[in-house]
Amino acid sequence: MTLLERDPKAAPAWRGELPVTSRYTFGLAGERFFRAIQEEGRILGTRCDGCARTYVPGTIFCERCLGELDKWVDVGKVGEVHTYTLLYEAPDGSQRETPEIVAFVRLGDGGLVHRLGEVEPEALAIGMSVQAVFKPIAEREGSILDIVYFRPI
Amino acid sequence: MNERVAIVGLGWVGFRPVTPERSYKELMYEAALRAYADAGVNPRRDVETFVTVAEDFHEGTSIFDEYVPDQLGAALKPVHTIGGDGLHGLAAAYMLVRTGQFDLVVVEGHSKVSNLLTLPEVTAYAQDPVLNRPLRLNTHFVAGLEMNRYLHETGTTREQCASVVVKNRYNALSNPSASYGAELTLEEVLAGPPLAWPLGRREAAEQADGAIVMVLASEDRARHLTDRPVWILGVGWCNDSPSLENRDWAQAIYAREAGRMAYRQAGIGNPRDQIDFAEVDDVYAYKELQALEALGFCRPGEAGELTEAGVTAPDGDLPINVSGGSLGVGHVLDATGLARALEVALQLRGEAGPRQLEDVEVGLAQSWRDVPTTSGAVVILGN
Repeated sequence: MTLLERDPKAAPAWRGELPVTSRYTFGLAGERFFRAIQEEGRILGTRCDGCARTYVPGTIFCERCLGELDKWVDVGKVGEVHTYTLLYEAPDGSQRETPEIVAFVRLGDGGLVHRLGEVEPEALAIGMSVQAVFKPIAEREGSILDIVYFRPI
Repeated sequence: MNERVAIVGLGWVGFRPVTPERSYKELMYEAALRAYADAGVNPRRDVETFVTVAEDFHEGTSIFDEYVPDQLGAALKPVHTIGGDGLHGLAAAYMLVRTGQFDLVVVEGHSKVSNLLTLPEVTAYAQDPVLNRPLRLNTHFVAGLEMNRYLHETGTTREQCASVVVKNRYNALSNPSASYGAELTLEEVLAGPPLAWPLGRREAAEQADGAIVMVLASEDRARHLTDRPVWILGVGWCNDSPSLENRDWAQAIYAREAGRMAYRQAGIGNPRDQIDFAEVDDVYAYKELQALEALGFCRPGEAGELTEAGVTAPDGDLPINVSGGSLGVGHVLDATGLARALEVALQLRGEAGPRQLEDVEVGLAQSWRDVPTTSGAVVILGN
């Protein structure tokens, strides 16, 4: 509770809130990317040969040359921890007792932000190899949460 | 076309953690009146067009740009609102004068963040809705990831980052407009609660309310209005790829490119020699070090050492964030860049009071739009 809410003599205020609900279609590339995760447990990127880059997640365009991309490649389930953090704050701003381990896992020339699991904070290191752990296929719904976390190998 | 543009009026209110007695409109009105009095202009008669910066979710009002004209004296005049940082607004106002169509332009930015009871949720709503937001992570994780990679690649230490907090919060004790002045030790900063390790809670700026208004004028008008114009020598802005998947995690490339754009206009080839002082992004402590390296004041990995050696202190060779920065003044969200530019302008006018630097002629202001963005801007000012 903020100071203003605790103080009965504080300046009066009106409270407002807005229910915001949106529906985000994935787009051409996103649909292919998430279908591969859901149906095949595969992580796909797209290749720009001209710029020698593999975008992960795959996109239909190269942000460097703006060329159209249609060459899809499987980049595997194993990536490298490019950086990580121990997150002590919850989405509502409250303090967490135990941190969440969050990493950017390099896959191709892109990668994914995700949680790390089956690892203690002391064992973490930039550069370590980690593998995507997928939900059982029956429980997948075509989202980033079909990957439960990445774990060290 | 107007070749040169000057800041001829400064007005601000704040900066305070809460401002329950005034609405955001009243904050803007008060800052505007001060700026118009400072410039010696009548807003209803003299000012030709207005630029404001605001973000709907920060304001708690959709189509917020509709709510800005009246309290600035801008009703029935050309106004536009930019979704960006205050320096983006300053750049837009500068360009409006440069076109030659306008000789007197006003830019405004404000924060009434104390009204926003769910800021972490609003910031999280800026994450990619499909790739990132489903993870339900507090957006400070982006800063934690970036800081860890920055330390890894440059060899910068946590202690060096914490020394930015010690410096800036101490500087704020000499700034009557600052909310968070404090005399802290390095140990006290590092012993604070963790936020997104390696980032600590005391290395993240706390929020503040306030409003800033600046009056910009063409050279002819400026010379007519004031004998102490602050010239805008260069402006630049840039975005890295915004996606977490394609951005650079170690360096503030957007700041480097924004700086280069501004340096080209200002004819600056060696920033360390040609710029006397700077106010840069320090919303998180490591960002100040990253910014100094991106802006070419030193090589990657050197900014921490310079800070420890006192080079960036007010009495050092390159004073940085003499105002206290966002860590000491308070983070004023969309107005942050204008807060940095305000201090540069005050120093160049010789009106910075107890924290006035001696013999300063050229200063730089740089800002970033906070997590999860890769959006930054730079302005170079001279007297």
